Amino acid sequence: MRPLPRFRNLPVTLRVPLVMAGLMILLGFLASQSVLSALGKVQDARLSETARLHVEGLSVALGPSVLRQDVWEVYDILDRARSAYDGQRLLLSIVADERGRILAATDPRRAPVGEAVAEFEEGAAPPDAVRMTGDPVLRVAAPLLFQGRQIGQIVTELDVTDLLAERRNVSMWLLFGNAAATALLAFGGWLAVAKILRPVGALVSAMDDSQGAPRPIAESDIPRGDPGLSRLISTYNRMTTAVESRAEAERRLAERERFVSLGRLSSSLAHEVNNPLGGLLNAADTILSYSDRPEVVRQSAELMQRGLSHLRDVTRAILDENRLDRVGQALRPEDLEDLKLLFEPEVASRAQRLHWNVEAGLAGLKGLPAAPVRQIVLNLLLNAGAAAGQHGQVGLDVTAGEGQFLIEITDTGPGLGQADLGRLLASGPLPPGGGVGLRLVHDLVSQLEGEIQHDRVGDKTYVRVTLPLKDASHA
Amino acid sequence: MKSRRRALLMGLAAAAAPFVVTRGWAQGPALFRFALTPVFLDNDAAVISALRAALAEGMGQDIELVQRRTYQEISGALLDGSVDAAWTCGYPYLQHKTELSLLGVPVWRGQPLYQSYLIVAQDDPATALSDLRGGAHAFSDPDSNSGFLVTASDLARDGQTPDQFFSRVIFTYGHRNVVRSVAGGLTRSGSVDGYVWEALSSAEPDLTARTKVIVRSEWLGFPPMVARADRMDEPSVMACKAALLGLSATAQGTEALKLLSLDAIEPGEDALFDGIAARIAVLSGG
Repeated sequence: MRPLPRFRNLPVTLRVPLVMAGLMILLGFLASQSVLSALGKVQDARLSETARLHVEGLSVALGPSVLRQDVWEVYDILDRARSAYDGQRLLLSIVADERGRILAATDPRRAPVGEAVAEFEEGAAPPDAVRMTGDPVLRVAAPLLFQGRQIGQIVTELDVTDLLAERRNVSMWLLFGNAAATALLAFGGWLAVAKILRPVGALVSAMDDSQGAPRPIAESDIPRGDPGLSRLISTYNRMTTAVESRAEAERRLAERERFVSLGRLSSSLAHEVNNPLGGLLNAADTILSYSDRPEVVRQSAELMQRGLSHLRDVTRAILDENRLDRVGQALRPEDLEDLKLLFEPEVASRAQRLHWNVEAGLAGLKGLPAAPVRQIVLNLLLNAGAAAGQHGQVGLDVTAGEGQFLIEITDTGPGLGQADLGRLLASGPLPPGGGVGLRLVHDLVSQLEGEIQHDRVGDKTYVRVTLPLKDASHA
Repeated sequence: MKSRRRALLMGLAAAAAPFVVTRGWAQGPALFRFALTPVFLDNDAAVISALRAALAEGMGQDIELVQRRTYQEISGALLDGSVDAAWTCGYPYLQHKTELSLLGVPVWRGQPLYQSYLIVAQDDPATALSDLRGGAHAFSDPDSNSGFLVTASDLARDGQTPDQFFSRVIFTYGHRNVVRSVAGGLTRSGSVDGYVWEALSSAEPDLTARTKVIVRSEWLGFPPMVARADRMDEPSVMACKAALLGLSATAQGTEALKLLSLDAIEPGEDALFDGIAARIAVLSGG
């Protein structure tokens, strides 16, 4: 089963001529077989005829001499028949009497007079049944009939070396001829098929070379003469444009997601700004009303200072969120503090409880880029917050160690639906509807060569993100 | 008168049908029939045709050369008159000594004598007749001197017969066939006319090269030309004798003798065959 897949892996421009060559070889083999079989039949018929004529001729000539058991006469006839016979086909002729004793042979040294003829009858065939067996010497045995009665036997050895050589020659010519013809046709077929399939080859290489981004084929390379192929390549070109457009759209969506996250925070952040403002106005009123009481003024001024510094922190966190991806800074503990600052108002607005545990120190965060990690954590927190609902619980655990940076987000919401899991865990096409926040998390984690795990234990949903620390632990 | 008419008829027959030599025409007294034996290179048509032409020229009449397979057939034909003369062997001549007379004896290599050869295959280690015990042997003819009598009488001296001494005895009815039999391996050894073997070694050296001579007999009377003793005075027989003895004097005769590797044909004497007679005595005397 293994060679087949290998064969399938070959380029189609090689496979088609190979298949053709294989069929040619098969055809050549069958043709050769039929030629050889026809030749064999002709040779067999020739051989059989030779043997039959020889035996019949000898029977007529030998009859009276064999009846008289006249050794010399039998030898004389055999000897003269041999020298009169064309060629050297008859190697040995033996005549035996009816008791199977040799009367005479063309070579009396091989077949002495008086010996049993049985030894020479081994493997002998009747004249009508003599066939080429591949043996250079064939034996024929026939009864010696005279006046309708069997009076002895004739055994003849036929030399068929020339017939074998003829057969071998024909085989060799067939072999070479067929091999040459097959090679020529296979080569021609390869050229023709390669020419016909060149656009397909271009299509395949355009798809292979692109490393995920299919490359369109130049208009000049489209074979206008072949409507099918030209339509195929045009369709492919349209498809590559569509894929490019889609990738561009996804890139833009991901770009915007950052602002979407901030947008989702805007109302709680507005409260976050608005709440201190009331306190600040009160403090300003108090200073105006009790400007002669320095301790009250000091107290109010301190109050105002705290409120303003909180507002400064919030605005700075928002600014950082917008700016970080452009700078490409490394992740610091402050980034996680920023996220807490941004997310806390969201938790407060839903009267939720927030569990916030960051164990990783500065050293543990080293080597991770700030922007994608912040985006991952913020998106997951926003989802968890939305899922947990009023009075729910949201948690964040960040730990680092053994070359890993682990983020675990928990919520008491109803759990992620199939569509959301598809966005978060898989790379398949996005289901219609829904946002791109979870898919963005998936893509960012993939870029950082990390993993995402989802778990639901009791009424809690766990999303764990594991990111490899490349330089930190060893640096 | 009678002989003139016969000569006339014969001349007519020769002019009208020179190639008609079948027995159907033997009723006429004209055609002279001369029988040949397996002593010859029996496959050599050129030799036979040259001899026929030379004899016809010498006799002044057409003749028929009759070939028979065995000496026995030739002797029979001679005695019953179906052939007028024959080139036979010393052994059958002596067997029918009282009925036959010599017309002439060929001269080979300067003398009217030849030898019998005992031959084996080229690679055979045998060097004497006694080494061939238990092997197969080829004779040419049971009435042949060189092709049977010599070997059989040699065995008879030791009190053996060919059938006892050899595992198998075959008769090939031709000296050339004896050589083929030994060369082809059908028999281990053979008894052959030395004249024929020597002639073959020039004409078919590939054949004789596969054999070798291990024993040569004493010199014996060359196979003679004979006719019936009671017909020796007949003009045709006398003409035949004259033609035979005069072969070396004519161009055609010389050509025929050359093809036969012979020098001439001389009158010969019965004493030439004393050696053969001695061997017959050994064989029959046991």
